[in-house]
Amino acid sequence: MNNLLDISKLTKKYQTKENEIVALDNISFGLKKGEIVSLVGPSGCGKSTILSIIADLDHDYTGTITRKSHLKYAYMLQNDALLPFLTIYENAILGLKIQKTVTKENLAYVDYLFKLYKLDEFKNNYPNSLSGGMKQRVALIRTLALNPDILLLDEPFSALDQQSRLLISDDVYKIAKKEGKTVILVTHNIEEAITFSDRVIILSKRPAKIKKIIEVNFKNQYSIYERRKDANFNYYFDIIWKDLDTNE
Amino acid sequence: MSEERKKYLKKVKIKQISIFGFQFLLVLLFLGLWEYLVKIGFINAFIYSSPSNIIKTIIELIRKHDFFIHILVTLKEVIIAFILGNILGFTGAIILYEFKYLAKVLDPFLTMLNSLPKIALGPLIIIIFGANIKSVIIMALLINLIVSILTIYNGFLCTPSYYLKLFKTMQANKWQTLFKLVIPSSYQTIIASFKLCIAQTLIGT
Repeated sequence: MNNLLDISKLTKKYQTKENEIVALDNISFGLKKGEIVSLVGPSGCGKSTILSIIADLDHDYTGTITRKSHLKYAYMLQNDALLPFLTIYENAILGLKIQKTVTKENLAYVDYLFKLYKLDEFKNNYPNSLSGGMKQRVALIRTLALNPDILLLDEPFSALDQQSRLLISDDVYKIAKKEGKTVILVTHNIEEAITFSDRVIILSKRPAKIKKIIEVNFKNQYSIYERRKDANFNYYFDIIWKDLDTNE
Repeated sequence: MSEERKKYLKKVKIKQISIFGFQFLLVLLFLGLWEYLVKIGFINAFIYSSPSNIIKTIIELIRKHDFFIHILVTLKEVIIAFILGNILGFTGAIILYEFKYLAKVLDPFLTMLNSLPKIALGPLIIIIFGANIKSVIIMALLINLIVSILTIYNGFLCTPSYYLKLFKTMQANKWQTLFKLVIPSSYQTIIASFKLCIAQTLIGT
């Protein structure tokens, strides 16, 4: 098996008192090591459900998920979800504490990330004294600190202003490429999906089916700003737009 | 320290002092009005007493050496009932939070117990446990415990869902979620519950 993860014929149904809702219908795709894949689709189509199933948080589905070995996952959510009663440093190492993996190496990596994102002078601050962008960077450090094999990003930039959104998505992109992290990004934003990913999976409205998988090839792989300027950017945008548009 | 900082700290201090001053003034105003209304015969001193009468009685009790004995007995009852009420309330809230099924089963009974006029059970408790400190503490617990459980439990339930999701994604077990997230997030509700509990305990004792 070349893929880190293979999802085959994934179907998810929700049972309510009134009826049965099919959320995911026969979803199949693979994920290679170091690959960045975006899931785009209409609101409520089940993109986040796919992440929950991949991360083993939801076991109530049919189909198979084949993992290469024991994979470690880490999530980044839409909300920074920093605990207001902990300093940002304590927030950053929260996952390490919970998973009982507070080691010298892991703490050194956290310190490196704090320096990289110019947050080291705010280590002892509480989240309420930081801007939205800074808080989401702390959330990124908390996610990366767990040293995951797969990063699951559930619309992590959508609550940010445009400037922070670009800066932080570029931070995530660069570190994912540098460290060879495998990433799945759930997003509503077509531009973000194109500039961030190696592949874009377009989902239909509920029940979500895969409409199209687009391989994104840009000459420059090092920055999302550069990728944005690429001549192919509009070409990819049009394809995704048409496919999403026909769903609405 | 910069001038702006000094100004800010001074402003904060003045605000704190003014709040305390107004609280003191309100107490004085209340006592003064009470005394005045008794003096002019608007309210009956036999039924409502008056601040000056209360002070006279306190002085008399102090002279007879009874005052502090009674205060100490009541204080002991209040402290025991308050501590017990909070410990049991906190434990009860944790049990309800961790066992949601049990919480659903007990929900109507807790609501019923909460709305019961517990003071009316006073004579029954004295008959069962006797006229002693035990009865007083049980009476106080009857009044403060359910309120304490329900307040803290509702505080736990208000933990924002995105924090719970975060802990789930970090594979936190239920005790880590409880002690690292739910309890610290409910800090303000727990303090509010302590305040409620002391008031309820005083009614009970």
